[in-house]
Amino acid sequence: MTHLRIDNARVIDPANVFDDNRTLYICDGKLTDTCDHDAHVIDATGLIACPGFIDLYARLREPGFSRKGTIESESRAALKAGFTTVFCAPDTQPVIDSTATAELIKQKALAANGARVVPMSALTAGLEGTRLSEMATLYKSGCLIASHADQPIDDTGVLLSAMEYASSFNIPIMIRPIDPAIAGNGCAHAGSIATRLGLPGIPVAAEAVALARLIELCKSTGCRLHLSRLSSARSIELVRNAKQLGLPITADVGIHHLYFTHEQIDGFDVNYHSAVPFRSIEDREALREGVRDGTIDSICSDHAPHDTDSKLAPFPSSGAGLSAFDAFTPLLMSLPDLLNMSLIDVIAKVTTGPARIIATQAKLITAKNDAFNTEHYSLDIGTNADLILIDPSAAPLLDAPDFISQGHNSPLIGLNSLEACTGEDVPLQGQVRHSIVSGTVKSVDA
Amino acid sequence: MKKSDPQFNQFDKLHHFLSIDGLDKATLTHILDTAEGFTSVNDKSIKNVPLLRGKTVANLFFENSTRTRTAFELAAKRLSADILNIDLVSSSTKKGESLLDTLRVLESLQSDMFVVRHSDSGAADFIARHVAPSINVINGGDGQHAHPTQAMLDMFTIRRHKGEFDKLCVVIIGDIKHSRVARSGIAALVTLGAAEIRVVGPQTLMPADVESLGVTVFQDINKALADADVVMGLRLQNERMTSATIPSTGEFYQAYGLTPERLTLAKPDAIVMHPGPTNRGVEIAGSVADGKQSVILQQVTYGIAVRMAVMSIIMGHGEEVREAEMNKA
Repeated sequence: MTHLRIDNARVIDPANVFDDNRTLYICDGKLTDTCDHDAHVIDATGLIACPGFIDLYARLREPGFSRKGTIESESRAALKAGFTTVFCAPDTQPVIDSTATAELIKQKALAANGARVVPMSALTAGLEGTRLSEMATLYKSGCLIASHADQPIDDTGVLLSAMEYASSFNIPIMIRPIDPAIAGNGCAHAGSIATRLGLPGIPVAAEAVALARLIELCKSTGCRLHLSRLSSARSIELVRNAKQLGLPITADVGIHHLYFTHEQIDGFDVNYHSAVPFRSIEDREALREGVRDGTIDSICSDHAPHDTDSKLAPFPSSGAGLSAFDAFTPLLMSLPDLLNMSLIDVIAKVTTGPARIIATQAKLITAKNDAFNTEHYSLDIGTNADLILIDPSAAPLLDAPDFISQGHNSPLIGLNSLEACTGEDVPLQGQVRHSIVSGTVKSVDA
Repeated sequence: MKKSDPQFNQFDKLHHFLSIDGLDKATLTHILDTAEGFTSVNDKSIKNVPLLRGKTVANLFFENSTRTRTAFELAAKRLSADILNIDLVSSSTKKGESLLDTLRVLESLQSDMFVVRHSDSGAADFIARHVAPSINVINGGDGQHAHPTQAMLDMFTIRRHKGEFDKLCVVIIGDIKHSRVARSGIAALVTLGAAEIRVVGPQTLMPADVESLGVTVFQDINKALADADVVMGLRLQNERMTSATIPSTGEFYQAYGLTPERLTLAKPDAIVMHPGPTNRGVEIAGSVADGKQSVILQQVTYGIAVRMAVMSIIMGHGEEVREAEMNKA
């Protein structure tokens, strides 16, 4: 076990509303007041120390799609992003609807020595939207959220039943609201750009209609509902109203959606082809306001690594999604200026925010070293140390050889500012220097 | 920020013809003027000019087409090029070969020009970005995005009948949402400075923010047709008739069909256009399609000259690139 002393860091701990210089001690893997052992000393002058980030939505691609990414490559890329815990999407092959698949992922993650990986269970068997998965068994084995990935649930009866069942066990469910009949074969925001390019559009109504249905079902079932990766101003409005009614609803947004709009797909740029489409500037502004005012509880990566061939196709046929881990830290570090928020409030969106969404019952989970539990979002004395050290002014590691993720499908590759993408003068800087998961220092190198 | 326009080569000349977007009025006018020169070739008894002698044009049609493919074939032959027709609908892509692999194979056939049609919007753009630099690409229709040679032959037809564009009111009727002909036509009319472009149809057949293309939207065809100089019909695709976009072809004809009575609302000398094939009694009355204001068959004829113009212009620019490549080697 590691004995560590971290000197001179600016310690940011949203759970304790703490933002000041402080010496941190890690003794036998736990955060302590002091350490009697011979501690390794890290001089963290100029660095920020904060709890490790928690990602509520990432695709690690394994099992099933290891040509796009593996648990090893992606869980290590997650550390570069600052994530010490990653909730992995259940749309693997096989789908995470059995404890065997969940165990396989956890074993592979332990061997990979990257971020802690928490599998999400599929809400319905095979993500087919017809039969419920064994979500209670999966929950006990550590799948702390039941999610339906990017798959819609056509049958409202099944959705109602899934929410009733999940609420019986107080399992939070995660849904990306999308009405498949409205979205059709759409591959971009239904707006002026898609219209000019002749791309089938996904109207805002596809998200809003599905969201309104979910809110009604949440009201009648009391199910803890987490809305995954919202994209439109109308959604923010609906969630804001639902929260005011006191419904157990939380929501997140993918980090790229705070920066990009549908303007970026002009010229058929497949790098911006995302399953959750980038919408208008007004939508992006509403998402930003949602983050500011707390309508959005958490920011996720929506990480979607692809192999080169998947993106070598005309826009509608190209693989949807962006590889997000390698650029996540610089994007996050730019948010305080962009959103006029304090750094501690931004960091809360990737620490306490996601933790509170899932943590209510996490004490039930046996606190094994590999399991996620309530401790993992604060720097409280006595907890297993899960923390990162960020150099906020370091150049971003965004050149292709620096990429740790197997997916190089990022429009930010090789950039040090967003100006070339969005026209907004947003610098890209910041590097995670050290990452400590359950008291163990992990390498963050490519 | 818009990505660089792949239509232009390193000398800033039109190297591919993919979309009307990004082309200026001078370029479009040059194509129309060049096409004027070729119409006389088509009227002669020996209809060939040797501009593309020794060149190979490959028709790569990933989607069924008879008219457009034949028009390109004829245009290439009249320019003395060799033409390869490759039926891709039933071959490689069905076997799971990627578009890029198919392209590589076709490149190795030593063609100089690809004419491509594909069901994905953006396919021609993709092919142009990934093809060997010596090959010129012409978009023969990509998904719902663009059909630029159709737009140019439409502009050619309009100019022949109406002269300049700046006083014209053009009405486009029907399925704008799924029509690449409409998108390219609108883009060309905007660039050439048409005074007013109206689109008319039910909301189910209008794309989101259609006004952003530079058009005025009408739901009432009688209002839309008032004082029009040019009336363009669009083909209503069979799949629209079986989906929920319109209730029936009968009701569509009742509400939006171009009938002789409605045509009287337009200017007396208005011309009637249609990209074909027409559905008589669905979007247009047979008597209008065959009537004296109809220029539908002229569109087909002019299509040869316009495609000859596009082919010769970009092949000429291709020569510069090919020479530069040779010098590098």
